Formats: sequence, C-alpha cells, structure tokens
Amino acid sequence: MTVLFEGGARALLVAHAVLGFTAVFATTHHAVSALLAALGRPVQRQLCRFGWMASASTVAQALLGLSLYPVYRVRVRLADLESSAPAVVQLFDLKEHLSALALALVLGASFAGRALPAEAKAAESRAVAALSASGAALVWAAALIGLYVTVRHPVGRP
Amino acid sequence: MRELRAALWGVSAFALGYLLPGTLRLPTLAYDPVARTVRFTSQVGGVAMRYYGDLLWACAAGLCAAAAVWIFRRPSRPVAVLAGATLSLVALDVAFYLSRLLASV
Repeated sequence: MTVLFEGGARALLVAHAVLGFTAVFATTHHAVSALLAALGRPVQRQLCRFGWMASASTVAQALLGLSLYPVYRVRVRLADLESSAPAVVQLFDLKEHLSALALALVLGASFAGRALPAEAKAAESRAVAALSASGAALVWAAALIGLYVTVRHPVGRP
Repeated sequence: MRELRAALWGVSAFALGYLLPGTLRLPTLAYDPVARTVRFTSQVGGVAMRYYGDLLWACAAGLCAAAAVWIFRRPSRPVAVLAGATLSLVALDVAFYLSRLLASV
C-alpha cells in the first residue's frame, strides 16, 4: 500500500519546514508593520511588501502541509501516535485548525493592509493590526506545535 | 475602506464555515488515504479525513462573503464593531478546538 506523495515525503517535509519559518517571519514582520501603522507611522511600503511575502509563504506552506497530510495520517498518526501518544494526536489536530484560521487571517490582513492609506482612520489601521497580529500569533503556535510533533515522529521515517 | 470590510467579512465567514461543518457533522468531502477514494458524506470514520472538505467549505464561505461585500457594498457598519465580531468568531473557533484538546488530556 502506497499513500499519496509518500515517496517524496521527506523532501516535502523539509520544504514545509523552510516555508514554515518564512511564513513565521513574514507574518511577524507584517504584524509589526501593522502595529506601527496603527501608531501613525508611515509604513505603507512595508505593509505592501510583507503582505505579499506573508500571504505567498502561508499559502505555499498550507499547500505543502495538505499534500503531506495523508502520509502523516497513515504512517505517523495511525501507525504510531494513536497508540503511543494520543495527546500528541489531539495536539496536531489543534495545529491543523490553528493553521486554517491563520491562513484566513493572514490573507485578510495582507489584502486589507496593502490598501491601507497613509491617512487611514485610527479604527481602520487598528483593525488591520488586530487581524495581522492574530494571524501571526496563530502561525507561531502552529509552527511550534508542528515542530514538536515532527520531533516525536517525522513523516518519511518508519 | 472596501478592502478592509471585505477582509473582515471574509474572515468571519471563514471562521463560521470552518467550525460548523465539523461540529454539526454536515456532509463534506472525505478523502480515504488508504483506499485513495474521495466521497461526499457526513459519515467519516476510520482513517478517512474530512479536513480537506471542511477547509473547502470554509474557503467557499469566506470567498463568497468577501465577494458579496466587495460587489454589493453593504450599508457601512463601524469598522471597530466588524473587527470585534470577526476576532470574536476566530476566538470562538480557537476556544472550541482548545477545549477538545484539553478534554482529551
């Protein structure tokens, strides 16, 4: 029995990790820029630049994660974690949900942030900052949980 | 700012569209990685996964809501209220999934 993308699981996992770090740093930079914008600083260029980086890296990261998910489900979760560490299974489920919500928040913050004018109303720049900071926090949480589960049992290892 | 309102409505709909299909056991696309089959069903068991389907529901809800606000220009509500509602829905999702984790430990 071969699971979808099982042959390239290790390479996909490495790419997933690299893009994960990119997403963490890009979303953090975007959140900091959005918070500075809420304080009245002129950071429109940073919002635009980090908005593209954050959304592109988060979408690519999500696509790689989705392609790795069947291998994780069969070779890691079913074969090992469900019997040896059921709490880790639940932790990974939480990570999936946080990642999905982070994706929506990051895309929304990037889309709204690139259109934020220099003289935006305080409520508007604060709303963008709230979306962006929440997205970055969820990306951080998902990355840390993902690292923990990967240390326990990475995909591609018997 | 039309972009901000579309983003806030989109994220709100995504949060609802992500939470409801799983909790209410609504029919969704389920992928079985062993049999390599895709079914549209509410009964997902064994190794089959409903994550892809739930994510599709959420993306569809988010994109439809954002597009509707973008196209139809709803009567404007205060941005602070919209942002508060959006983040509350996201927090509700996080609290629900966190409670499931804590209940299982």
